[in-house]
Amino acid sequence: MVAALALSVFFPLGLVFYQSVLSGPFFMPAARLSLEAFAFIFDDPDFWSATKNTLIIAVGMSVIAIPLGAILAFIMVRTDLPGRRWLETPILIPIFVSPVVLGFGYVVSLGPVGFFSVWFEQLFGSVPWNIYSMTSIVLIAGLTHVPHVYLYSSSALRNLGSDVEEAARLSGASPFRVARDVSIPMVSPALLYVGVLVFFLGFEIFGLPLILGDPEGHLVLTTYLYKLTNKLGTPSYHLMAAVATCIIAVTFPLVLLQRVLLKSAQRFVAVKGKSARQRRLALGGWKWVALALIGAWLVLTIVVPVAGVALRSVVSSWGAGINLLEVLTLDHFRAVFEEDTMIRSILNSVLIGTLGGAVAVGGYLLIGLATHRKPDGLSRFVDYVVLTPRAIPGLMAGLAVFWVFLFVPFLAPLRSTLFSVWFAYAVVWLAYGMRLIQSALMQVGPELEEAGRLVGASRARVSRDITVPLIRNGLLGSWLLIFMIFEREYSTGVYLLSPGTEVIGAQIVSLWASGAVDVVAALSLINMLLVGCGLALALRFGVKLHD
Amino acid sequence: MTDKTILTVDDLALAYGSNPILKGVSMQLRRGEVVSLLGPSGSGKTTLLRAVAGLEQPHEGRVKIAGRTIYDGAAGIDVPAEKRDLGLVFQSYALWPHKTVFDNVAYPLKLRKVGSAEIAERVQAALKNLGLAHLAERYPHQLSGGQQQRVSIARALVYNPPVILLDEPLSNLDAKMREEARAWLRNLIVEMQLSALVVTHDQSEAMAMSDRILLLNGGVIEQQGTPQEMYSQPKTLFVADFMGSNNILKGRVAEIRGGEACVEVGEGLRLWGQRRNDAAVGQEVSVVVRVEQVRLAEGPAEHRVGIDLATSMFLGDRFEYVFHAGSALLRAWGSRQEASGRRWLEFPPDAVWVF
Repeated sequence: MVAALALSVFFPLGLVFYQSVLSGPFFMPAARLSLEAFAFIFDDPDFWSATKNTLIIAVGMSVIAIPLGAILAFIMVRTDLPGRRWLETPILIPIFVSPVVLGFGYVVSLGPVGFFSVWFEQLFGSVPWNIYSMTSIVLIAGLTHVPHVYLYSSSALRNLGSDVEEAARLSGASPFRVARDVSIPMVSPALLYVGVLVFFLGFEIFGLPLILGDPEGHLVLTTYLYKLTNKLGTPSYHLMAAVATCIIAVTFPLVLLQRVLLKSAQRFVAVKGKSARQRRLALGGWKWVALALIGAWLVLTIVVPVAGVALRSVVSSWGAGINLLEVLTLDHFRAVFEEDTMIRSILNSVLIGTLGGAVAVGGYLLIGLATHRKPDGLSRFVDYVVLTPRAIPGLMAGLAVFWVFLFVPFLAPLRSTLFSVWFAYAVVWLAYGMRLIQSALMQVGPELEEAGRLVGASRARVSRDITVPLIRNGLLGSWLLIFMIFEREYSTGVYLLSPGTEVIGAQIVSLWASGAVDVVAALSLINMLLVGCGLALALRFGVKLHD
Repeated sequence: MTDKTILTVDDLALAYGSNPILKGVSMQLRRGEVVSLLGPSGSGKTTLLRAVAGLEQPHEGRVKIAGRTIYDGAAGIDVPAEKRDLGLVFQSYALWPHKTVFDNVAYPLKLRKVGSAEIAERVQAALKNLGLAHLAERYPHQLSGGQQQRVSIARALVYNPPVILLDEPLSNLDAKMREEARAWLRNLIVEMQLSALVVTHDQSEAMAMSDRILLLNGGVIEQQGTPQEMYSQPKTLFVADFMGSNNILKGRVAEIRGGEACVEVGEGLRLWGQRRNDAAVGQEVSVVVRVEQVRLAEGPAEHRVGIDLATSMFLGDRFEYVFHAGSALLRAWGSRQEASGRRWLEFPPDAVWVF
């Protein structure tokens, strides 16, 4: 099984590297080993401008998301902010909304003729923002990644004893001074980790720049890769592989760095872990400032784009002087449900989320059990194998899987089936899924398993009779989270899109390129509803949205 | 070694990375005997128990149970835990929360492919034996700590393992229940003629429950023997200090007379005691005397010293007196409240040990 896992991860990756040093697509007999592809892209000024934009976005995102996320975490975890239990879920929503849907939402809300822009213009005469500028892209990317920072810093803050904060308070520090001078510095290892994570996500970002960067021609590396085909008009696989190799050359070290940092962050927390008694800081009058800050952020990152999508999907026209109530229509949804490909994409999305998600969780579980509490070389190897796909942005992973199904003769018939999409999804989210499974497995006290061994059960028997029954809830939670992630996924399916393998996310990307905005709006709303169902179920079953 | 020996551990060594935990431990357990592994935390007692159970990986030595070699570092034999056929009662009881009491106890039999009628019969018998018959359908979280412990014992005994291992069996019970449970457990082990290896950090628990005690210190056995031997014939300062409540005084040997030595401990305070090592006159030594051996006396006599009483504390069943002995404190027990001031203390020379 470990061999199958390693093959699933390394074969597509190897194929990308191999393709990058060929002079043409690998299926062309004339292709030979050469560095032409690298020479071509390094000569292309667009590649360098894309690299520059990617760096600007990655740095800008970190600069915006890290302080905001850290402050948000401090407010939520360490203060007596009213209504914080209610805020916990909305804060995490941006993680589960597909970035293409978000990007689309910003276009229809804040674009030149967006709903909010039009209203704003009617009220104040002009619109001071340009949603398609680099500044806006960086700002939006930064704001939508605040939850990632929040997740990690909040769990670190939760493990911090409150005595250190009380001591600062008694020495005369205000709540925000306490956060700035004591709490946040003490969780700096976690912040460092999340900083690298956000920077890394900046390299992966695809949906937002695809939609927001297009009108003014701001390319990032992933969109540059995506547009290469249009640029040359021929399948320029070798060039795509070369770009992919360049991206992975940056992301893989970042992933390894994250691993090292995470370990040291955990050690840091373990030393300071006196979480038994925690008293919350009284915010006093500051609570209104905090609430206003969180409210503004929520409006900007969730309400504005989501409302835009929802509204856009039910109106036929809009603009100055149009009463939206008079142009309400369900035509866009009718259009969706009249076309086979659309219906198929919805059904496929549901299928891949439910059944595909369950099978993926089953697979992750088998891998997890095989290495559970076995500190040997094989487990360490699996650890790294699992980590590797993390470094490959979904778009490229989908491309690599597409090539695998093209390259390997006996897999070819599966290429235009949903299996290829599922396989790509399962590999792309391997690291995430394994983290869910492993944290569920770690909840099982080791002595419960040892007791099973002592009374005569083999390892496999202990897994079946004790470990797995005990993590049933964890498995259900993992399945729901994987369902949401699979519904949200859009980039991985882009290159695997063919009749029969349509999924909503990839369909939106391809429809957006063709300008079918009405249908995109309807599909986006359907996509958000599917994710919403998963979220509602997860909340109903008390699934923790993070570990 | 006689054929009554049921468990033999021979020169067992174990390390976590480069950090040695067990440095060559050898011991035997005879049929129907209770042996305690006693020691401070970090002494390796739990590691030894877990290595016997097959839950830790030694790198050297041999373990034999009922004539069967289950571990031999040199020969490369390492029988996995589930094939060792041992019973282990975990410190946390480790009851499976998703199984009822009945299912918890039945699981070992199910694994041994016992027929369901026989399982029902044997589990019921085991539960009845431990006074749990009425709780069979409950889940572990519905039981008290003491009941959980009994279920854990029932589960470890139901398949008649040749040796039962108990890891700190009483530490999860509250102080009051602990003494009752101690008596109950000792009685159970004796009545069922079990051979048991018990890990404990509590010397009084070890003395009360076992036929023999192995005192571990830093991964080696410091001394082994019956509880009486361990208590009254300690071979080293460590053993003397670990067993019982002690007064330990630092001093210098002033005089030696055969097996006895006179030690000067602070100004004017001289004590005669048994020589426990070959310290010569003038050498630094430690004097150990059990708190219960020091007696408050009426007036001066041989082996009595005049000393200042600082305070007395009421402990419920007795008083504890605290004296100033130079810079150190000395403790003694008695039955009455005493006012502070000059008192006479008697140190019987055969109860004073000089190390």
